[in-house]
Amino acid sequence: MTEESPIDVSTPVTGQGRMDAAWGSETGDHAAVAQSVPQTGQVFEQVYVPWEGALNPRWMRNWAIFRHHVLGIVRKGHRPWGVPTKLVLIFVLIASMTDVALTLLFAVIGEPSLYELWGVGRNNLYAHILGFFPRNMLFYPLVAALLVGGVISEDRSNGTSALYFSRPINRFDYVGMKYLAVATIQSFIIIGTLFLYYFVDILAMGRGWAWILDTFPMFLTTVFCAALLIITYTSIGLALSSVSRGKFFPGIALLAVLLGTKTLAAIVEGLFERSILYLISPYDSVAHVGQSLIGTNVIYEHPWIWSLASVITINAISLYVLSVRVSSMEVTRE
Amino acid sequence: MDKKRGETIWTSLDRKATAIAEFTMRQYRTRLSTWVVLGVGFLAISVVLLFYIDAMNTEIEAIDNDGDSLDWDGDGYVNGQEYKYGTDLNDPASHPGLFDPPIDPEPASMYINEDDYDWDYSDGSRLEVGIDDDGDCNNSSLPESLKDDNNDGTPCNIVLEYDSLSGSYFVYADPYVDEDPDEDRYGKEAQHRAFILGVGKLGFVFLLSIFVPLFLATGLIRDEMTSGTMQYMTAKPIARGEIFLYRMLGYLAIVWPYLLVVCSLLAIVSGFMGPGDQIFRFKDLGVWFSILIAALLATLVYGMLFAFLGVLWKYGIILALPIAAWELGMALLSMTVPESTFLRMSIVGWSMSIIDSGAYLVWPDMALFTQKGAWAGGTGDASFFFGGGNELPGYRALEWAQSDLGLGLGPYATTVLSVVVLFCQAVFFWFIGQLIFKSKEIV
Amino acid sequence: MIPDLAQEGKAQQQAWVPEAQAPVVMLNNVGKTYGRYQALGGISLALSGGVTGILGLNGAGKSTLFKLLMGKLQPTQGEVRLFGTNPWKNPAPYARVGYVPENENMHDWMTAHEFVSTFARLHGLTRDEAKKEANRVLEFVGLSDVMHKKIGRYSKGMRQRAKIAHALVNDPDLIILDEPLQGCDPLARTTIMNVIRELGRMGRTVLLSSHILSEIERITEQIVILHQGRLLAIGNLHAIREQLDNIPHTIEIECKDAKALAKDVLSLDMVHGLQFPSSSKLKVFTHHLGEFHKRLPKIIVDNEHDVMVINNPDDDLQSILGYLTGGFR
Repeated sequence: MTEESPIDVSTPVTGQGRMDAAWGSETGDHAAVAQSVPQTGQVFEQVYVPWEGALNPRWMRNWAIFRHHVLGIVRKGHRPWGVPTKLVLIFVLIASMTDVALTLLFAVIGEPSLYELWGVGRNNLYAHILGFFPRNMLFYPLVAALLVGGVISEDRSNGTSALYFSRPINRFDYVGMKYLAVATIQSFIIIGTLFLYYFVDILAMGRGWAWILDTFPMFLTTVFCAALLIITYTSIGLALSSVSRGKFFPGIALLAVLLGTKTLAAIVEGLFERSILYLISPYDSVAHVGQSLIGTNVIYEHPWIWSLASVITINAISLYVLSVRVSSMEVTRE
Repeated sequence: MDKKRGETIWTSLDRKATAIAEFTMRQYRTRLSTWVVLGVGFLAISVVLLFYIDAMNTEIEAIDNDGDSLDWDGDGYVNGQEYKYGTDLNDPASHPGLFDPPIDPEPASMYINEDDYDWDYSDGSRLEVGIDDDGDCNNSSLPESLKDDNNDGTPCNIVLEYDSLSGSYFVYADPYVDEDPDEDRYGKEAQHRAFILGVGKLGFVFLLSIFVPLFLATGLIRDEMTSGTMQYMTAKPIARGEIFLYRMLGYLAIVWPYLLVVCSLLAIVSGFMGPGDQIFRFKDLGVWFSILIAALLATLVYGMLFAFLGVLWKYGIILALPIAAWELGMALLSMTVPESTFLRMSIVGWSMSIIDSGAYLVWPDMALFTQKGAWAGGTGDASFFFGGGNELPGYRALEWAQSDLGLGLGPYATTVLSVVVLFCQAVFFWFIGQLIFKSKEIV
Repeated sequence: MIPDLAQEGKAQQQAWVPEAQAPVVMLNNVGKTYGRYQALGGISLALSGGVTGILGLNGAGKSTLFKLLMGKLQPTQGEVRLFGTNPWKNPAPYARVGYVPENENMHDWMTAHEFVSTFARLHGLTRDEAKKEANRVLEFVGLSDVMHKKIGRYSKGMRQRAKIAHALVNDPDLIILDEPLQGCDPLARTTIMNVIRELGRMGRTVLLSSHILSEIERITEQIVILHQGRLLAIGNLHAIREQLDNIPHTIEIECKDAKALAKDVLSLDMVHGLQFPSSSKLKVFTHHLGEFHKRLPKIIVDNEHDVMVINNPDDDLQSILGYLTGGFR
């Protein structure tokens, strides 16, 4: 063993021996040294056992993916969201309950004028979902950015999408469930606190049926607008996540899209007094639709139908990009 | 060891610097994301430019600020003409057509924008300006005492007094002087200036200078550390602080030329498109230059800051986001309250003051100019005639984009101080960044 | 500071002067813990000259050891000296070191030539010198025909060789290779092994790690064995094995007629026992491996046995580790 090994580049390739060297275990190299080509052969008996188990229904498999992502926020053993993501989620959850807390406070104090300021009303419902500062400047886009951050792009860069695609699910189940999971987590924060706000108001102020009947349509409209906001953020975010790699790029890109278009439109409005460029800003388009539907002050000049069309277009483009990218995604480490 | 002539410790440092800087540039060049980020930034700025071009090509509708193009009595002669000939504005049976020989009615357009501003700027604190171009003060039947409403001894003129406390002018005007300014002329100039300042401040120093470093600089060290390729560089005889600095140089070698190109494009387009008699507005180049300097320094400081945050923590980008939000707030604050002390704790505040001093040097008449827009021929907020609020078009945009020097220093001192502070900020972030990088274990 | 834009003149050496008498690599009671996990526990070691193989299973602390030497990690205890200098504080000794990390990630967007020459310039070479050096080392590792292709398109063996080339570009006195043979096909292995042997012959100090003994065997006999962060053995591989002679060695012989061979082998007095795994295989147990190997050929030739393979299966790392840690494997 101690002699200079005779295998080198000039050694002739001898089929079987070379194969042993390549595929053998740790002693493979010197197996190629002294071994002559074995002259024996062996035929293996082939027995195929057909798999007769029953596959769970499709929704059940999808539910597993969905559950894996959503439960990862609170429990170990599911998708590992980063610690900062969880911290920001908790922070935003608490921060978006300020109006709940103030409602409770003023209901307890019983000062009607202060209560008017914070209780459930058209403007406050709108502000809970679509207010720009601080909710849509700092909180909700940040949550969306952190959630979409690595959802698809990490799978792409780590090659872990293979773990999904080697199971009996198709690509649209995969991306659809990721979409739903991300949207659901955002809903817990945005719509969940909205419900809390509404019901705390009913309980704390002892509202009667008349008031509930009166405000419920408005409340439902707000929920619809919140869903529109979440869907828009998630669509853009996942589209960005599917075209980029890495954990943070999609997140920064989402923030750049949301805040960059807003700033740009604000520059044009400030300089030329035209609000038309707000159509490229996803937030402003949703906000405009929300203002018109909920019935608060409309601060944009163009008709709200344009904004609605813009929201639909933005979502359509994002979902198109997402589906094209996912259906052509290579199951490998990119 | 034998040294050749000209061989110093610097020359070999310098070789390392160019090697890493070139390496970084090449790395960014081969990444698609770099081009997407830079391209989107360019696109965003171009959109604003398109709105600007559109505004420059659109005639601003002329407004009859003094109302003399109206014909109150419907006799075919507009108020201005009746006023000139002394007939009754409200009596259809009294008009110059009844004169002998009868005078033909003049078109109403003759009485729109017929008395433009004649406010020449000089740096005195008391200016006597204003010429009654249409003669409705000089030739009117008003008594002499009323023609000299402001009691300065000269009839039919305007006295402007500079109030150094508020940084604006008080207008003491005689009646019917410069009372119907040319909206198009004022508006174009105002929009032009507002465009330069607005795009410079929010477009360059805020939008580009924050988002480009956020995309490009955060990963300068962090990405290499995560992917493990930092192993190669740290195994060479080069200090970590140098790696940090030279990577930064490579990043700047991409970003600075990019800013230069975008800024030059805007300067050239707005120079040719802008209002004025000359073909190209050479004077504006001074403002563009200060915008460029501010943006270059801002990208330097933000780059150092974000790279430092990237080294500090794997999730450094999350720390960068609140900072970006703070800077947005500071950017808006610097446009409204430029003297706020909060601005001293930001990066964007110092960069903005460079632009403000540039604008102050190139357009010393800015305070006078904004006053023109506010006064609006006596119908703006300074007057009682039409209830105020009739500022000239472009005034609000200019007021929004323009701000005074906030440091209480002259323009040159402000620029020098701001540049020095920004440099110190950059050095400071580099220093802590490399200290932390040195103490990081590279797994 | 006047920038050297023309990049003319000769490369300048670092002002750093290594300690003359210091061993190239010295570790004094070095330990490294990650949280509660001890990767290295109190290792003392001094190496100078020759090719040394660091052996150990995965997680034995080989990479940690190298990263400590390269100043990537800060030791939790003890002191690390590279040419007498603490590498965590001072990067200057790297001027004389070449390091091939274990990491598979490389700058895929560069060509091998760009990669090597760029990193050569970090040693203070000028652009032209760096290019020339890059050509030289890429030729040395046998990549000169593909050196202008992107690294991203290389096979694993080519990537390893590019990494080795980048480490050799400053003509280092110490070369550290972390798992240089991992994932390479036999051809690439052979090339890389030849390169390493050549470096040893040129008088460089080479440290390489592996968890496969047979690879190391083909390069060097001087080994260091690490196990669970501790130093198990150091010195000549066969000397170490001989020291464990109270445990019988196993020799596996494959031949046409095992029984016949067994009869003849039994005549040797150092043979301790025999076993027949199959009709054509013979396992011989002995306490004196060297002696047995001296006598075996004569027996085979004298009795005209048709022997195909002679193997020392327990001379490999697993069994040595087994012996050293006290259990048979």
